[in-house]
Amino acid sequence: MIGLDIHEPQSLEEAFALLGDDESTARPMGGGTALMLMMKARLFKPSALVSLAKADPRFHGIHLSSDGKAFTIGAMTTFAALEHHDAIAKHLPVITQTMVTLANPRVRNVATIGGNLAHADPHLDLPPVWLSLDSSIRTIGPAGERIVPLADFFAGYYETNLLPGELIMQVHVPVSPGWRRRYVKITTRSAHDWPAVGIALGLQMQAELCTDVRIVLSAATDRPLRLEAAESILRGQKLTPGRIADAAQATGDIHIESDSRGSADYKAHLLKVHLARALQDLSE
Amino acid sequence: MATITAGSQIGRSIPRLESRDKVTGRAEYTHHLKLPGMLYGKIFRSTMPHAKIRKVDTSAAAALPGVYRVVTIDDIRTVIPHPYYGPAFHDQPVLADGKVRFAGEPVAVVLASDPAVAEEALGLIEAEYEELPAVYDELEAASSPHLVHDELKPAATFPDLQHLKGRRGTNIALDYKMRRGNVDAAFASADHVFEHEFRTQQVMHVPMEPFVTVADVANGQATLHTASQGPSFVRIEIARLLGWPENRVRVKVPHLGGGFGGKLYIKLEALVTSLSLLVARPVKISLTMEEQFFMVTRHPCTFRIKSAVTKAGKITARKCEVWWNGGAYADIGPRVTQKAGFTSAGPYDIENVWIDSFAVYTNRPPCGALRGFGAPQTAWAYECHMDMMARELDLDPVAFRRMNMLRNGRPQAGGTVMEDADIEASMDLALERIGWNAPLERVSGNIRRGRGIAIGFKGITAPTTSVAIVNVYADGSCVLYISTVDMGQGSDTVMAQIVGEVLNLDPEKIKVIHPDTDVTPYDMGTLGSRSTYHMGTAVRLAAEDAKNKIEELARDLDMPPGSNLPVAELLRKKYGMQAGNIIGTGSFMPDYQKPDPETGQTRKATPFWGVGASSAEVEIDMETGEFKVTKLVNIADVGVPINPKLVEAQLSGAGIMQYGFTTIENMIFRDGQLTNGSLADYKIPSLLDMPKVFINEATRSNQKDGPFGAKGAGESTTIALSPAIGNAIADAIGVHIPDLPVTPEAVYRAIQSLKNAGGH
Amino acid sequence: MSNQRIVNFTLNGEKSTAIVRGGETLVELLQNKFDLKGARESCGQGLCGCCTVLVNGSAVAGCLMLAWFVDGADVQTIEGLANGNNLDPVQEAFIEAGAFQCGFCTSGFILMTKKLLSEHPDPSDEEIRHYLIGNLCRCSAYPEIIEAVHLAAAKMRVLARA
Repeated sequence: MIGLDIHEPQSLEEAFALLGDDESTARPMGGGTALMLMMKARLFKPSALVSLAKADPRFHGIHLSSDGKAFTIGAMTTFAALEHHDAIAKHLPVITQTMVTLANPRVRNVATIGGNLAHADPHLDLPPVWLSLDSSIRTIGPAGERIVPLADFFAGYYETNLLPGELIMQVHVPVSPGWRRRYVKITTRSAHDWPAVGIALGLQMQAELCTDVRIVLSAATDRPLRLEAAESILRGQKLTPGRIADAAQATGDIHIESDSRGSADYKAHLLKVHLARALQDLSE
Repeated sequence: MATITAGSQIGRSIPRLESRDKVTGRAEYTHHLKLPGMLYGKIFRSTMPHAKIRKVDTSAAAALPGVYRVVTIDDIRTVIPHPYYGPAFHDQPVLADGKVRFAGEPVAVVLASDPAVAEEALGLIEAEYEELPAVYDELEAASSPHLVHDELKPAATFPDLQHLKGRRGTNIALDYKMRRGNVDAAFASADHVFEHEFRTQQVMHVPMEPFVTVADVANGQATLHTASQGPSFVRIEIARLLGWPENRVRVKVPHLGGGFGGKLYIKLEALVTSLSLLVARPVKISLTMEEQFFMVTRHPCTFRIKSAVTKAGKITARKCEVWWNGGAYADIGPRVTQKAGFTSAGPYDIENVWIDSFAVYTNRPPCGALRGFGAPQTAWAYECHMDMMARELDLDPVAFRRMNMLRNGRPQAGGTVMEDADIEASMDLALERIGWNAPLERVSGNIRRGRGIAIGFKGITAPTTSVAIVNVYADGSCVLYISTVDMGQGSDTVMAQIVGEVLNLDPEKIKVIHPDTDVTPYDMGTLGSRSTYHMGTAVRLAAEDAKNKIEELARDLDMPPGSNLPVAELLRKKYGMQAGNIIGTGSFMPDYQKPDPETGQTRKATPFWGVGASSAEVEIDMETGEFKVTKLVNIADVGVPINPKLVEAQLSGAGIMQYGFTTIENMIFRDGQLTNGSLADYKIPSLLDMPKVFINEATRSNQKDGPFGAKGAGESTTIALSPAIGNAIADAIGVHIPDLPVTPEAVYRAIQSLKNAGGH
Repeated sequence: MSNQRIVNFTLNGEKSTAIVRGGETLVELLQNKFDLKGARESCGQGLCGCCTVLVNGSAVAGCLMLAWFVDGADVQTIEGLANGNNLDPVQEAFIEAGAFQCGFCTSGFILMTKKLLSEHPDPSDEEIRHYLIGNLCRCSAYPEIIEAVHLAAAKMRVLARA
């Protein structure tokens, strides 16, 4: 690549100035893996990359609130830092579990959770998990800060609802004791492929009753998607095989895309079967 | 020097000679090469699968600061009047000439001292096309009025293709025929007739070192440094293109980062040489992984197979119609069509055989040799076909194979009498290692399990020649000059073992000179499992020649017989100082008789037979079609393994590669455009994909005329692996899947169709 | 100037300086300015591991990392692994197990194995397969690679006891 400027602003103000207005092709950079891939494939040629590494301390760190109810995770946190974080492993083990099959150790050492969210590729493993955890994003921009629930964040393939000039600063993740969680990554070719279907699940059980539930689908749709129809069949109910089957059937009207990993029909079928199995497993 | 006992080098698993270079990052690959004043070329490629080129506007690219020159075919023609190349047909232009024949074809090249500048300039080139109707499917193309090439142009180096010269109005580049007995009569009187159609997909070699060539043409000399499996062929073809004698073309190959048949014959060399000739500076082109998908691939194939079978299960006739999708340029496709056509009736003893094998041009990236020369595609069909018939006839698939097996001493369908082909022994070992007769828990919950067996064979490209030179220095140390390319298979090591065996030397102290056509003698190419047998024999002969000369020298010096004076002392006695050489040469071309063009019959079609047998155990999730190959066994007859560990690595490596072609890999096209041409979307097997139980073994065999009983090992386990898995899946679910790759979705659909048909 | 800069870093234990461009990758820097050949670009997408380099002790894909950011870092390549003529136990194990064929991917496998063994001194087959998921060997020396990792682990345990 020629003619690429790189900046490492020391403050947010400097970063905003470098990123410029809506017309600018300067791009904020976390670990840079996704940006590098897009630039190398000549899909996109930014005029400049603006590293956020030194712009503000709030981009960094994994903090558990003093009441233990929520994590605040800086957007520049690498996957590897998340993977090897003891408090995350203790309170959000689904994150640690997801890391094992996420890309490879080299990518995990460099890629950041903020860059990953901003990339908005629906095949990514972590966004559906964040969504199933009711996470939200703290953004910062020239006009100030916002809290955006993750459910409102993705706008489609490689598109988010970030405002012009806005940056992802932190991810807030509630800690939800008593929930059973899992991320199911279904690949149809090699084990190191992107998922054909991803399912992030959370179940809150009291005795035999499912008091609350989160089901998020990824990879098969243009963005991670809460499957609310399926959730509502399960919420407040005993998870009998029949009930679980009904919930799995309730995924039928989702618009799923065909690609090299499988036809839309087949992916819809994989979703039904694996959702039912995971629900059964988690409820036991 | 250590004293070595004769007979001690064969069957020794010494580490590769170049081991230390490879673990310290020092091994030389063309990938790294830089020459002073070198320009980097980047290729502008067609976005159209089939189109006339109206205009290529290179002006903006040429104006970009740092761009040295932008080159199209018109520029090339100023230095090479007829810039077409190819091993079988001279059908491929150095750059697109008036029209493009596949999406991804090179149209122009930007040259710059800085590759980033050249890359940047590509975005400034504009091409205008007039789209032509395109053909992608081999069956459609065979009868389509839309022609990929107006006229067939066979190369003079392949004399058996001359009858095709000037043929017009067809996409069929070659029709190979074999006729034996009377199939029509046999079908008419058969108890049972079975007919099936199978298809295989387009896949790519994916060498980790992408194609790369550096050419330095100046002052009437051309020097090429290239990642090639065939330096001697490159020299001949470049000399032809330039109209120069061979001694003005030098081709050097250091270590090769994987080849698998892709880097054979002539690839980037024609373009890069033309560019260097044009600009009189060294030029380097390195492809990216993505671009490799446009260089060469494995043929997709449609195979219609029909067999006549008696009530007892004896196959009395077989008719094979094989259609090879060769893509836009023939490359070595015509040879694949002949060689794989030749064995497409399978390793069975059948009285009446009819084979038609067609090479077909289409508007896809070109197809060539890939580890098996077509044999894996044909075995997929004939071995699935065997199990499908066995199922229909309610015969045991093993007994059915045994009843029809082609045994040593019997003529193969083309007339060559089988020798040293341990087909049955290979099958038996594959059965034993998988535990064929052990109980199998066939059903547990959603899971069904099954086992499959398959066998296969291949002929070897013939006739071909290898030449070797052994040079013993004045101190007794030894150098071997060969043009065999060590691309990871371990040929340097094995050839050194052969020299060591003959000359009583420690092979780890023998130096093997890498191919440099100014220095190393001719070899037809590192391909088709031929090196151990052909070059191995040439090396043995060269070493024996050296040995004879040493003995002669001892006699000349009046040494008493059996005095065994070291060669260093003999030379010192002769020259009075540490001086001189002993040079042994060896040349080998095996016996061969050209087949009859109408019947394919010959007394000697192949110097030896590649033989493989595979068995697999699978478990299938009946709800989703997801499956695991829980156990995979690959057996090959390799004669006597010279280096057993290297042989095992060949068997297992070829097995995992073919496993990828069976279950994972597929080049997917939409309207002629490749949609998954990168490793993000075209997946190859990783450590996690390897079957947990994975056994690779050679039978105890002997290739009587091979060097110390050895023969080739590089392809044998690619042949029977896919049908072993296909047959195991069918054993589990009750129905065969006719097309590769076997994906979970394909298995799911097969289960569904069986359910819908009222099956179990 | 924000499209080129001077980077100062440690390369295989030696203080090093280079001028790098904005778009230059780490593997380009190593090859073009330091003539190091062990890290090589193959897939160009961080998936195959041929370009593996250790930066501040972490394995990274040299084809996706901008050279710009190695300023101040400690960079280690395969060339820095052996001590003179004494190979690292992982290198020895790869030779003894025959864990490579063409060798193009080998630097990456060895560096990743080094990291794997620093995190899991006695890894299970499953841990090895997962840790090396992003290293592709088309020659498919995978069975031998697993053998080499176990062998290297054993060698390192012996050394640790000594």
